Amino acid sequence: MFTLENVSKSFGSLQVLEPTNIRFEPGKSTVLIGPSGCGKSTLLRMMVGLIPPDAGLILFEGSELGPSNLHQMRQRMGYVIQDGGLFPHLTAFENVSLMAKHLGWVSERIQGRVIELAELTRLPSQSLTRYPTQMSGGQRQRVGIMRALMLDPPVLLLDEPMGSLDPLVRYDLQEDLLKIIRTLNKTAITVTHDMGEAGFLGDHVILLGDGRIVQQGKLDDMVQHPANAYVTRFVNAQRIQGLGGNSPC
Amino acid sequence: MLSRKSFMTLPPCAWLAFVMLCLNGSVWSAPPTIRVGSKAFTESVVLGEVIAHLVRDAGFGVQHRAELGGTQIVWQALTSGEIDVYVDYTGTIREEILADAIRNGVKINSEQDMRSELAKQNILMSKPLGFNNTYALGMRRPVADALGITTVSDLKQHPKLALAISDEFVARKDGWYQLVARYALPQTDIRVMEHNLAYRGLAEDAVQLTDLYTTDPEIPFYNLIALEDDLGFFPAYEAVLLMRDDLAQRAPEAAQAILRLQGLISSDAMASMSAEVRLNRRTETVVAGEFLNRELNLGVELPQTTAAAVALRVAARIGRSTVEHLFLVTISLGLAIAVAVPLGILASRREAFAQTVLGIVGVIQTLPSMALLVFMMPIFALVNLGIGPAPAICALFLYSLLPIVRGTYLGIRQIPVAMRESAEVLGLDARAQLRLVELPLALPSILSGIKTAAVINVGTATIGALIGAGGYGAPILTGIRLSDTGLLLQGAVPAALMAIAVQFGFSCLEHRIVSPGLRGQS
Repeated sequence: MFTLENVSKSFGSLQVLEPTNIRFEPGKSTVLIGPSGCGKSTLLRMMVGLIPPDAGLILFEGSELGPSNLHQMRQRMGYVIQDGGLFPHLTAFENVSLMAKHLGWVSERIQGRVIELAELTRLPSQSLTRYPTQMSGGQRQRVGIMRALMLDPPVLLLDEPMGSLDPLVRYDLQEDLLKIIRTLNKTAITVTHDMGEAGFLGDHVILLGDGRIVQQGKLDDMVQHPANAYVTRFVNAQRIQGLGGNSPC
Repeated sequence: MLSRKSFMTLPPCAWLAFVMLCLNGSVWSAPPTIRVGSKAFTESVVLGEVIAHLVRDAGFGVQHRAELGGTQIVWQALTSGEIDVYVDYTGTIREEILADAIRNGVKINSEQDMRSELAKQNILMSKPLGFNNTYALGMRRPVADALGITTVSDLKQHPKLALAISDEFVARKDGWYQLVARYALPQTDIRVMEHNLAYRGLAEDAVQLTDLYTTDPEIPFYNLIALEDDLGFFPAYEAVLLMRDDLAQRAPEAAQAILRLQGLISSDAMASMSAEVRLNRRTETVVAGEFLNRELNLGVELPQTTAAAVALRVAARIGRSTVEHLFLVTISLGLAIAVAVPLGILASRREAFAQTVLGIVGVIQTLPSMALLVFMMPIFALVNLGIGPAPAICALFLYSLLPIVRGTYLGIRQIPVAMRESAEVLGLDARAQLRLVELPLALPSILSGIKTAAVINVGTATIGALIGAGGYGAPILTGIRLSDTGLLLQGAVPAALMAIAVQFGFSCLEHRIVSPGLRGQS
């Protein structure tokens, strides 16, 4: 689905990502994890074309990302950020349907698709006419996910999607998100710094540190067989009680 | 990119063409046969009305473009063909109009020299009308008597007098500073004031000396004394008609009728006409008509003076001022929106461009409006629109740019990065991002910029009256000239009401077009 070949990035003299190779397989859920400043968000932002890599290739469905095909390719990616990134001047419905309307979908088709997505994300239908400021953080994030799914893209990229939510809301939304990814068989790439979330959402976990991949694989392996002291410290710092521990309490 | 560029360049040009058509066409008035001009003081306006009556009596249509500021403005209007005739004074012609020619070595020793020099510019100068209205320095008689001042030279003994000198007299080449040099006067601390306000200052003893015209009716009214010009500094100011020579071909009967004024008006007649207007509050039209009926048996029909007729005229004048004022404000604001919003968008894209644009429109904002108007006139005179609404609209347009460019620029710049990126990653192209996300989010800020510009425009447009643009400034200007508070309020009150209405209108508009999701954010 996504292939990164020797991709690197520096901001000024600071190298945030050393030359890195990753393949993201279709239908799998991958989580990028690491402390702040490890390069995980930069990686995701390069994959959606918000920042260009200094060197290396980013291939999406076999073609290189470039200015000429970026608009088309982005319509095949769903991107979700912290707090949803909703447009405050549009209602939930308008936020979700903005792109489809711009592409000229007829209103029945838009209507049907939005209702379908609201059921999928368990968004109360009366929330559809509300503006972002009139919704709770969890509802905003559900709308953000609906917006990302509107055009039915094969891949979802989620940048700290639960970052601003309180634990109980986060717990529900993590469950729903996983169900959505599984039901729709999406390729999902999630950035988080929360080990519990990583273990819950990810088939495959990639731990980044200081701009490079430190260890990758199943979370269990990482916890039980840390590759080095850095991994041990990172795992311990999360105070995980049990493996696959998704309990927020 | 391309579309943005064409958006930038095309509409303003189209707009400008449209406005030019409007201005040349029917909006302002039906095409007049003969256009008479006058300067912004009572004697000049009365003489303009006298000419207008004569022309009308000869069977022509007439338009009196009254109160066109000072000599430069009226002279420019005459040479560029926007007016056909007005009254000026030989002293003014020598010192102001022909100053350049004289500096270049042309000798003007007689009226005939003056006439032939003006003829080179296709302007006919008539014989004198019969009165000499020169400058003098004046004081209240009791004050002058107490200090023992009778001549200009006597002022040397009293360096501490409070002086108010009219702006026109200060600026003249035969004005205040030359007088000071000639008489070696010690007074250096002067206040520059509008002529009619200086009279008020004199009456209230806030001022002890001012410049005056020798036919001013205020001289007897305020018990003033004109100091004797003991060194013979002031030249003669014989009133004469200045007329475009093509008028004699275009409408010889009209030119003949106007020339009947030669030798017809004595100093006393002029002073008494001015007194009727300034002191007895009668209109220039009536006073001029009565004069012609008396002197030439003309049979000018005088407007009715019943309360109902007067009220009707007041209402009609306010109505006309409102239409003219709205015209000035809406056209200039429309043009400014068409130019400033795209400029603000471009500025939000490139910081270096933003600094340049905001710098330039900021400097424009600091220019005094009167200076900007006078600067515009010669440019617009090239297309025969030197007086009237065009230069005023242009000046208002320039003043409107800063708030709108700033509002647009800041409105777009303050959109959070996450919002911008969300739009981009959705797959919207640059144009759609602008249309669907950036402009709606910036709308409250853009609207508040436009609202500021509109309110400033409503106030500033009053100054357009100085160059014949009409609007609420016209009654204000006349009100000041005649010390007529009622007339002044006929312009000032509606202008204030219009500013409030504009504020209210924009609040309603904001409520209608700004998304409810953005309320309370800006």
